[in-house]
Amino acid sequence: MELGLIVGLSFLLAALSFMVIENRGLARATHLYALQTLTLVLIFLAIAWEHSIGVLYIWAGTAFFTKVLLVPFLILLVIKKTGIKHEEAPFGGLFHPFISLGVSIAVAIMLEPIFIKFSLLKLQIPIIVSIFVFMMGILGLVFRKSAVKQILAYCLFENGVHLTLALTAYNAPETIEIGILTDAIFSVIVMGALAMRFFNHFGSLDTSQANELKG
Amino acid sequence: MFDNINIAINVLLLIPFAASICIWLAARGNNRVLLYMLHLVATVATSVVGIGCVAYVVKGGSFTALNDFLLFDSISGVFVLAISVIGLLVNLYSIKYISWALDKGEIAFSDARLFFSLSHVFVFTMLLSVISNNIILMWVAIEATTLSSVFIVSLYKNKRAVEGGWKYVIICSIGLAFALYGTVLMYSSAYHIIGDAHKAMLWTSLVEHSKGFDPDLMKIIFVFIVIGYGTKAGLAPMHTWLPDAHAEGPAPASAFLSAVLLKCAMAGIIRFYVAMNSIADVARFMQSVMLIVGLISIIIAGMFIMRQHDIKRTFAYHSVENIGIIAVAMAFGGATGFFAMFFHILTHSATKALAFCTTGNLQEIYGTRDTSGMGGLVRIAPLTAVMLGIAMFSLAGMPPLAMFTSEFYTVVAGIEGKQYIAVAIFLIGLAVVFYGLVHHFNDIVFGKERGEVVHRGEVSMGANIPLIAMAVIICVIGIAPPESLLELLRNAAAIVVNNR
Repeated sequence: MELGLIVGLSFLLAALSFMVIENRGLARATHLYALQTLTLVLIFLAIAWEHSIGVLYIWAGTAFFTKVLLVPFLILLVIKKTGIKHEEAPFGGLFHPFISLGVSIAVAIMLEPIFIKFSLLKLQIPIIVSIFVFMMGILGLVFRKSAVKQILAYCLFENGVHLTLALTAYNAPETIEIGILTDAIFSVIVMGALAMRFFNHFGSLDTSQANELKG
Repeated sequence: MFDNINIAINVLLLIPFAASICIWLAARGNNRVLLYMLHLVATVATSVVGIGCVAYVVKGGSFTALNDFLLFDSISGVFVLAISVIGLLVNLYSIKYISWALDKGEIAFSDARLFFSLSHVFVFTMLLSVISNNIILMWVAIEATTLSSVFIVSLYKNKRAVEGGWKYVIICSIGLAFALYGTVLMYSSAYHIIGDAHKAMLWTSLVEHSKGFDPDLMKIIFVFIVIGYGTKAGLAPMHTWLPDAHAEGPAPASAFLSAVLLKCAMAGIIRFYVAMNSIADVARFMQSVMLIVGLISIIIAGMFIMRQHDIKRTFAYHSVENIGIIAVAMAFGGATGFFAMFFHILTHSATKALAFCTTGNLQEIYGTRDTSGMGGLVRIAPLTAVMLGIAMFSLAGMPPLAMFTSEFYTVVAGIEGKQYIAVAIFLIGLAVVFYGLVHHFNDIVFGKERGEVVHRGEVSMGANIPLIAMAVIICVIGIAPPESLLELLRNAAAIVVNNR
């Protein structure tokens, strides 16, 4: 394994993903998310440059405007409007970071051989990191109680899928990337609007308080 | 109607999309008549074009449009038929339902406008998902069905509706993320064999090259797809969002979700199944997976139906049960099994639309969804009682109603496949559900009045006409199904069987 620019940035991406999930300050977590996505953009640029893949420059550009600028702006808007600064303790308490780290790493290492077999770019570490980021997002959605944190977790796994797509299928028709990106942005808008409505009814963003529907 | 089906397919997508924008822009200033008229014209136009497109594929054959991005074959035909016919009737009912909510001040005019506008976006995304020839476009469309329907589900601005909406969007997003991974993996492996980026995403070319796929990878992809689209379809144990979203939304939205949306997600699973089942080993694996999740869905739903007191939650668990039946029919396979699967998709669609729309009447009459506050319906509103009876007995699989026929074929397929134990579990599950339903039906229709009756007598005829049409469809399909319908179903089943 060569420790080049792409591998270095991939490790940074993994570390930032963990920090986005674990930081209890909502605004700070959102800023970290913007930084995490900026790292993703840099990875796209690094791959585009090292492997001479022109289309990834476009991917980097669209990801910068939509996910580094627009999405964090929308999430910060929800935080500002609701005035809630900190997230509630997640399910699993103190064990949570260890569980999510352990499971994410295990799944990533388990699935990597399957992904790399058919991947257009045989880059082992970035593929492992893309699955790791995806799993951190999924587990964040399951275990975190804060609605804003759940939106961030959604964005995180979306970034994981985005990186997988860049590695395994960058040659896919452009309409496809546009479609997935449009869905992602609308998801954030819809979830943000629902989170505000949630706050208006429950007076908090703690989704574990919503437990009227059972059985 | 159209000389060229390519134009018809494009128009079919264009109408609901344009309608939603028109409704949003034009229907302002509390003008209810304009709002209802725009909705009515758009929904009729969509259905007419939809049925026109289906007519092309009744006798088999397939058509592609938009540079192969769209595919219209008999499988698409089955789903478009459900969206066109059942969608039309539910949309007609929704006019009356929304006007009740407006009269009672439960929602504002802007909410009604949002509801109608979004319901056409919703139809657009559902249509796109079932006629998409591109695997990722299909994913994009199914994800978009969630986004376009979440505010329809949480139309009422109360705690329960917000909770239902939040669970809906979060759980479906988690599920669909897995489906996206499965889809990307499918593309990567197909690209290695096909060598063309555009073609490697098309169902039509995946089916052509399916024998070259790696069997182990296909199994993993199928598991991802079942988790992903299965969550959206409401297969247990990924069904937890379903009762909440179905129960808290307005009755027509619940009808749409249950009758049509769940099937669109099943269409995703079916397309993957078709693309992979030429490898015998993979086909066996997929059948085992579908059999397990199908039977689990039926049993879990049966247990919850027994102890429900909320009529809409009861019907919501029925959706889980029936998606389970569709999965089991798929698992039994063979010409009969796939025929039963497509048949059940249509019969459940008609039945559940009637069931959920009838709950709208019940809520209007009793002012509650709680069955323990209902009773004596046959004396208060006999027509609604008959509608409820037809819906519930069809759901229970009582001959000669529609769902009996499709369930009967499912059992036949199981016996033909010598899967006797699975057939036995399947029948026990159905018996439990049958008991639960008859018990509820008796209490509501013949039992004593146990609570307040808000509206004594039938609701307006405008609301009942679409329900009567649905009831007629259920009876006709059960007693004497039209030959053209059976032909469409046989041709859809043949697409699955022939790709062996």
